[in-house]
Amino acid sequence: MIINGETIAFAVFAIMAIVGGVGVAALRNLFHAALSLLVALFGVAGLFVLLAAPFLAMVQILVYMGAIAILIIFVIMLTQRVAGMREQYNRQWILSGLVALVVFGVLLMVISQLGTPENAMWNPSAVAATLPDDAGVAALGADLVDANRYVLPFEVAGLLMTVALIGAIAVARED
Amino acid sequence: MELPTLQDLNLAVTLPSMGLALWACVVLAVGLFLPERRRHWNLVLSLGGIVALFLYNLTLFDLPADRQSAFLGMYRADNFTAFVNLIALVTAFFGVLMAYEYLKRTHIDRGEYYPLLLISTSGAMLMGASGDLAVLFVALELLSIPLYIMSGLRRPNAASEESALKYFLLGAFSSAFLVYGVALVYGAAGSTDLSEIFHRVNAGLILDQGLLLAGAGLMLVGLGFKVAAVPFHMWTPDVYQGAPTAVTGYMSVGAKLGGFAGLLRVFIVALPAVSGAGDATGWQDTIALIAALTMILGNVVAIAQRDVKRMLGYSSIAHAGYILMGAAAAGSPDVRDFAVSASLFYLLAYAFTNLGAFAVTVAIEKDDATNPQLDDFNGLSKTRPVLALAMALFMLSLTGIPPTAGVVGKFFLFQAAVNAGMVWLALIGVITSVVSAFYYLRIVVNMYLREGPGEAQAQRSFLGVAVGLAAVGTFVLGVAPVLFLDLAQRAVLVALGG
Repeated sequence: MIINGETIAFAVFAIMAIVGGVGVAALRNLFHAALSLLVALFGVAGLFVLLAAPFLAMVQILVYMGAIAILIIFVIMLTQRVAGMREQYNRQWILSGLVALVVFGVLLMVISQLGTPENAMWNPSAVAATLPDDAGVAALGADLVDANRYVLPFEVAGLLMTVALIGAIAVARED
Repeated sequence: MELPTLQDLNLAVTLPSMGLALWACVVLAVGLFLPERRRHWNLVLSLGGIVALFLYNLTLFDLPADRQSAFLGMYRADNFTAFVNLIALVTAFFGVLMAYEYLKRTHIDRGEYYPLLLISTSGAMLMGASGDLAVLFVALELLSIPLYIMSGLRRPNAASEESALKYFLLGAFSSAFLVYGVALVYGAAGSTDLSEIFHRVNAGLILDQGLLLAGAGLMLVGLGFKVAAVPFHMWTPDVYQGAPTAVTGYMSVGAKLGGFAGLLRVFIVALPAVSGAGDATGWQDTIALIAALTMILGNVVAIAQRDVKRMLGYSSIAHAGYILMGAAAAGSPDVRDFAVSASLFYLLAYAFTNLGAFAVTVAIEKDDATNPQLDDFNGLSKTRPVLALAMALFMLSLTGIPPTAGVVGKFFLFQAAVNAGMVWLALIGVITSVVSAFYYLRIVVNMYLREGPGEAQAQRSFLGVAVGLAAVGTFVLGVAPVLFLDLAQRAVLVALGG
């Protein structure tokens, strides 16, 4: 194994993902567990970068860390009773452990079918080279505002945001 | 990159739905500056926009072929779209008219109601017009999100909040089903364009048949939620009961219209070539089964209800079953066009009848946030004879007794089912219609044969206009259906290109 920048970065991100993942399951304080989820998600985003998938990495950070994890933290902070909770109420850890093992087994099986590391599938830049030219983030951006492509749903999505804003105000306003 | 000209985009034909959404923004902005005593401008502006677009929409029937698509295929402007627009605008008109005084007297007169209703209507129209699965999805959200908000308008009333939350959670859940289905169909066919999917399925250029079927199934679940088909109907009674009555009235037609427009559009344009037994397409049996279950459950459970809104909720489930019968019949190629027009005609008949029934319910409802019960109709024929007569007409139409819109609509649907070789389904339709007479006619009996105070809260007013127009619509569709049947029959769903 060659030690270079890529392997070191991989090690860092992989450790973040694993430690974060274990933390989500093992930490007693629910709030700490949610913070740990952020670490795990960041680690996965880093792995996406190493796999030459920058778009997925950005989505991982914007959507999962920026929106979903923050939403979970908000919910925990808004429900006081849960925020201070220390005890483990989950009595199904054996069952969930089994499910986790099965998922791990399936993933291992799929990955092992990719063959040895000499296989081209293991080389991110080789995989990226096989993609068509218009598969990048720039192409996605162009498609969204290109009248030949997705400008109508894009604009309607904007309208949708307006409705959601009106709704948020209508629901939260005191009067 | 080649830039299309404005003419290629063909913006003018998208005006009914997009124009309504824009107009909603105008109504919203104007509404902000209206003082208390000028609130009626909300009503005037909304109705004005709806009527203007309704008239404009009449010019969009039978467009030349080169003007039938806008945004290069994303938006389809065929006769199907024009007819769906017609029903949607009628629904919005009643939705506004019915709400104006109701919102005032129940102290939930929020300016947001009007723009939200208009935007929701534009979403329903866009669902019928979508030529691409991406458009279908955003249109569905555009239809649904305003409805979630409107159901909760009567906060801090617990029932209204429960209604909004339940509708939001289950609606979001069903949208996830739909979008998952869209993703799988895209994975199988390699395109989100409905016509393109049709041609690829037809030519056998599908990556994986199982993937396509799973995707179609998930989309059916997502749309089934919206139209309240069994077994995806759980939310309906609670949401209908808790939402402000005027909102329930609008929702009972608007959401169903959007759901069915999308369902017919996707399954008939994109997926007719999914292989099945004999001539019929693969999804016919599934939809027929759902239709049968929906008709049976809706009609049987409605019998046990005492709360009028809950009863009408189960009734709306039952009617979704009848329309699904038309959708199932459309799975047979020979019957397809007739079944589509029968479904559209029934949607129009259902719109007039159900909106009328809800308008009367709004009139009956007391100001103290209690829901109207069946017994509140007792003796109504003595105190408000005209209102009682109109309600009797709506109940007859919902049951399917002449001379009303409902009977003509059901007749066409049953005929479509028989023509498609599904006599058993038509039989279930007839039997459940007889069962439904039990609970619909109970209201008529209460109004005419029982003694009671039977007072209506609302006085002669906009609400009266709504009831009157709905009654005229129900009656005219019943005695002279040809006027609209001709329009409905011109609505033919086909994929673009060859």
